[in-house]
This record gives sequence, C-alpha cells and structure tokens, in this order.
Amino acid sequence: MDTQWPRYEVFKQDRPGEPHESVGTVHAVDAEMALQNGRDLFARRPKCHSLWVARADAITSKTAEQLAADDAWQADIDLEAPTETYLVFQKQTERRGMTFTTHVGEVEASSPAHALQQAITTFPAEQVFVWWVCPATAVTRSEEADTLPMFAPAKDKLFRLPNQYRTVFTMQKIKRGKDVIE
Amino acid sequence: MYGQETDPDYPTKLAEFEARIARGEKIEPGDWMPERYRKQLIRMISQHAHSEVVGMLPEGAWITRAPNLRRKQVLLAKVQDEGGHGQYLYHAAETLGATREEMLQALLTGQAKYSSIFNYPTVTWSDMGAIGWLVDGAAIMNQTMLAQCSYGPYSRAMVRICAEEGFHKKQGQEMIIQYAQGTPEQKAMAQDSINRFWWPTLMMFGPHDSASANSDELIRWGIKTKTNDQLRQEFVNELVPLLHALGLQVPDPDLHYDEETGNWISGEINWDEFWQVVKGNGPMNAARLQARQEAHDNGRWVREALAAYGERHP
Amino acid sequence: MNTNHQTALAQKLLFLADDELILAHRNSEWTGHGPILEEDIAFTNIALDEMGHAATWHRLRQELTGEDVDTAVFFRDPAAYRNVQLVELPHGDWAFSMLRQYLFDVYELVHLAQLATSSYRPLAEAAAKIRVEEIYHLRHTAAWVTRLGLGTAESHQRMQTTLDTLWPYAQQLFVNLPEDEALGEMGMAVSPSSLLEEWQHLTTTHLTQANLIIPTNHMPPTTDRADHTDHLTSLLAEMQSVARQYPTAVW
Repeated sequence: MDTQWPRYEVFKQDRPGEPHESVGTVHAVDAEMALQNGRDLFARRPKCHSLWVARADAITSKTAEQLAADDAWQADIDLEAPTETYLVFQKQTERRGMTFTTHVGEVEASSPAHALQQAITTFPAEQVFVWWVCPATAVTRSEEADTLPMFAPAKDKLFRLPNQYRTVFTMQKIKRGKDVIE
Repeated sequence: MYGQETDPDYPTKLAEFEARIARGEKIEPGDWMPERYRKQLIRMISQHAHSEVVGMLPEGAWITRAPNLRRKQVLLAKVQDEGGHGQYLYHAAETLGATREEMLQALLTGQAKYSSIFNYPTVTWSDMGAIGWLVDGAAIMNQTMLAQCSYGPYSRAMVRICAEEGFHKKQGQEMIIQYAQGTPEQKAMAQDSINRFWWPTLMMFGPHDSASANSDELIRWGIKTKTNDQLRQEFVNELVPLLHALGLQVPDPDLHYDEETGNWISGEINWDEFWQVVKGNGPMNAARLQARQEAHDNGRWVREALAAYGERHP
Repeated sequence: MNTNHQTALAQKLLFLADDELILAHRNSEWTGHGPILEEDIAFTNIALDEMGHAATWHRLRQELTGEDVDTAVFFRDPAAYRNVQLVELPHGDWAFSMLRQYLFDVYELVHLAQLATSSYRPLAEAAAKIRVEEIYHLRHTAAWVTRLGLGTAESHQRMQTTLDTLWPYAQQLFVNLPEDEALGEMGMAVSPSSLLEEWQHLTTTHLTQANLIIPTNHMPPTTDRADHTDHLTSLLAEMQSVARQYPTAVW
C-alpha cells in the first residue's frame, strides 16, 4: 500500500498578539517537515507571523452536537492521575471564513476528556460550535527567529495578488474607447 | 455519526439535519450526517481535488516556455497554487474519513473522475490566458457557490481557494486583453485559444439540469445552491460582452442576446463530445493519467524513505 | 568605478543570474510531477524564489550594461550563457535534484553572506535580501538530505550515487575567474575560491551525518563558465522558443 505520510494540523498566526487559528492539515513524516510544509502551503501569501503543527491524531474534537448528545465521554476521567498542559481551541463563529478553530488558552488535565471538561468550564462562551484539545507536548512551534526567513519572502511576491492586475480598469477603458468610435 | 437509512431513528435525525442546514448552520466533522451526504461529498470533493492536481499538467507544460520572466514567475506561482488547492480539497475529504492513499488510487485506476477540461491539449502560449480567464473564471463561479456549502471543511477550502483564484483569472484575462491588442499573430493566437476553450469551458458546468441526476439532493442538503444551467448562464453573460469589446469572436453561430431576459443565449453544447471525454476518450485523457501515474511511481521510493525515517525518529 | 571594474561586475552578475535561472528552470520541470503533493508545492517554491533571484541579478546588470532583462534571458545564445555545468544537468531522479539544490544552497548562503558586505551598495542590498530566502531553502534541502540519506537502503544508495556524480561538478562554483581579481581589489565581491573551505566544511559535516561518503574526486569537469554540456542547448531552445518565434511581440 502506498504511503502519503501522517497528517498534521496546522495553526497559523497572522500577526503578533493574535491567536493561532487552524487552517488545515499537511502530510509530513515529522514535526519539522510539517512546519516546513505548512509554511509552503499556508504562507505562500503574506500575513503569517508564526505556525504551530500537531499530529492530527493528537487532537481530541467534540462538536456542540456531540456534547449535547450524551456525556459518556466524561465517564473515565481520573482526577487523581498526573496532569499535563493542554491547548484549547474553539470554533466560535458560523460566519463564512477560511479558518476553523481558534486558540483560546491552556488547561491542566490528566486526559483529553478531562482537558475538554476543564476547557468547557474555563473558557465559557455564548456559543462554541466545536471544541479541540491537544497536549502541549504534541505541538511544535516556529520560533521568533524563523519569522523573517519563513514568512517575509511572501511579501515580495506581489504578482500573486489580484490587485496587481488592472483588468477591470483596462476593460472599462477599452469599452469607453469603443463607445466613442461607435 | 454517519446515518444509515436502515436506522429506525434515521427519519428523525434526517429532519433535524435538514433543519440545521435550512437555518444556515455548518455541518462539522463529528456531527451526525446521512451516509449519502458523506458519500456525495467525498465524490465531489475528491473529484475537485483531482481536477486541481491534474490541472497542473496542461499549464505546467508551459512553465519552461513562458516568453518573459514575469509571465514565467506568474505561471509557476499559479500552477503551485493549483497544487495547494488540491491539497486543501483532499484535506476536506479526509475529514469525512477518506484517505489520500485511497483517493489517489481511485484517480490512477480511473475510478474517480476529474474535470474534463484538462483532457484538452494546450498547444500555444495564449492557451495560458484562455485557461486563466475562461476556465478559472468558470471555476470561480462554481467555487463561489460552494463557499456557501453546508459542510464546514469544504466551505472553508472554497473560501481559501476563491481568495487565491482571483489572481489566476486576472493574470489570464490580462494576457488575452494584451494579445487581442498586440501583433496580428498574437491576436490570431488569442482568438484561436478562445475558439478551442470556449465550448469545453461551457461543458465544465456539467449536464443540463434536466439531465443532472444528483442536483435536487445536492441543493436540498446545501451542498450546491445554484444549478448547472444557472451558473453556465452567469458565465456566458459575463464573458460575451467582454470578448466582444476586445474584438474577439465567440465561436458559437447561434449565440444571441435575449432582450426580455437580458441573457446571452448559447447554441447547444455538443453533448456527445462531453460524454466521450468524460468516458476517457478525450484528446489528452491517457496522457494526463500516465503523467500522474509516472509521478506516483517515481515518487514511491521517496515517500517510503521519508516514512521510514519518520518512524525511526518520532 | 572604472570601465574594467564595471565590465567585471556586469559579468559577475551574469554568473549569478545564469546559475539561478538555469537551476530554477530545471527545478520547475518538477512542478506537477513531484513525489508527493506537499513537496511538489515546496520545491516549486524554491524554483520560484530562484527565478526571482535571477531577475534581481539581471536588473542590477541592466543598470550597468543597459541590456534589457528579457532580452538577456530569451535572446542570448547558449555560448554566451555563463552558468556552471552543475545547474544545467537534467533533473534526474528526486535524489539528484534535491542534492544538487542542497549543494547549491550551501554555496549560495556562504556566498551571499560575503556579497552582503560588497562595496557596491546595490549588490550588497540585493544579497542581504536574497539571503533571507536562502536561509529557508537550506533548512528545507538540508532536512531532505538527512531524511533521504538515512531513509531506506534505496534512498541512501541513490543519494550516494548522486553525490559521487555531483561533487566534482559542484567544485566549479569555486573556480576563480579573471573578473574576480578586479572585483576583489575593489571590495565588490570575494573570490569564489575563498568560499570553498567553509562550503566544504558545512557540506561535509552535514552529508556525513546523513551517512554519505564524501567523494575524493575534487576536479571540476571544466574551469571555464563558457564551457557547457549539450544539455544547455536543448534547455535554452525550449526556454526561448516562444519569445524567439515572435521577436517583436510584447508578452
């Protein structure tokens, strides 16, 4: 059987201070290649300051519908077990967009289910459509020193931007010219 | 999570599901959905992904021959984007449980389809202009609609793709505008490209609504919000006046303007040709699949080598 | 700057531009044919950057010679091209293209660090800017070299075979040419031979860690950038075909 490699979720931060948002996945054999592939896929155009990647299977996801359906997922939570840090992400809006979940913070928890439980109480919001939790140890982050070589080059590729092509204006000019002749 | 029609609760769940869609809510991975909704989406999304990846070939063939450095960079960036779009779409299908291994297998064995437009050859440089303006222009109409699709991951992939396609269409249009006003050879070349790509582009929107088997269900489930014929008409209405303004002919003797509806009415599409190409008998079907197969075969040792490294260095 | 220096500098810029352009051309042949979608996109990105660098060097040259960039690229005969043979060789298998790009990236990075201190301001500024992109290219190709070198028996074998082939070709990058002396006097550019030690150190360390054996053959196939293989002739015939078929057209 062919291999297309494991999948990594990619989280992109547009500007310093803004939250990381999930933008999709890349296939890669390790975190370093996932970061690089994430860069080449999701930062071909400007507006990227930092990327995080995590193995897709390290993420636990629950939709609002799943949470409403039953709470069997909370059954096995062991409050005595040692805890670790989990990152929490929420899908916060139904507005059309190109990003999915947004990073809202961290919780300490003993398991993904525990993390989810903690997340729901720690980060209440009027409406959350999807919750994600992921152990912090599963996340690999681009470093501050990477920002320039990884994300600055896209700024110079102006030919990728539609506003560099004055087709609408040119067509108007051509049509006006025609009108005058006719 | 994927509802079977044999499930006694199916009618209730289906009603809730359709009500969610009617309220404009997005269906996300993990939510309940009919198995048929999932199947339809995997079929559509993977077909769409394959189209992007196979679509790299006809344009990619001209990267090495672009006539100036700017056009060369633009084309390279554009074809790279198509690969990116394929990636976004495979991702959307993966959220429904399809694997990329399976999807590629389906493409290479001919089980999965891709857009027939890429089974036509690119024989001159100005075909890059025609593909950008006509083919990407037509794709954008479809994609703009799909950006409103009820399935979250597909919708998001489409929003991202639409944001990037604007550049693709405009760089193509810029070429045709320029060549239509260029040397006599350039103008003839541009006209020839329009002549060859006009009808295949109209075919991209798919069969007439009356002959389109899946249309009703796709619209009820919020996957599509417009029909094939509606989108095709919007495209014709946009393009015809612009081509005429440039002094270019539309290769359709029956094309006429209908005062009452304000529509440009096309002649009939050659549906025999359409089905022939869909069935694999288009001018480039074999060559496109062969190119994909070769890349797949030549890349196998590379994928295996990295996979082996990854397993040893987790 | 006297005429001699100006001529030497223009020629140096041609070396830089031609290396980048021809390598970008070879890499762009992979677009749509890469081993996996993610890498198809990533390697195309490198080709796109290198093409941009070629355009940058040509624009600097145009300021000195007045020759239009596209004329220089599309209407110059193979005999007037001044790239090293390393970059014109056909793209081969994935090991070949990746290892060639890696060897070139290390050279470029070492070279650009020096060019960024050039007394000719436009050159120094361009080098500093290009260097930012090259830091990323090297991160990418170095990671790939490690993974292919250590991946499977087959990938290792392919990498070793390729290294044996490419190593002598890469040495041509470090051959001093008549122009270099004049430029060195003016502090405009360092001589290629002065870059060799650092390049050799960096590549040897990295390749050895990837379990590859450094070849003992250090003799470049030629020391003259005017010498080409017949691969360049067919490459340029293809690249220049449309432009030359319609010489008066603007594209």
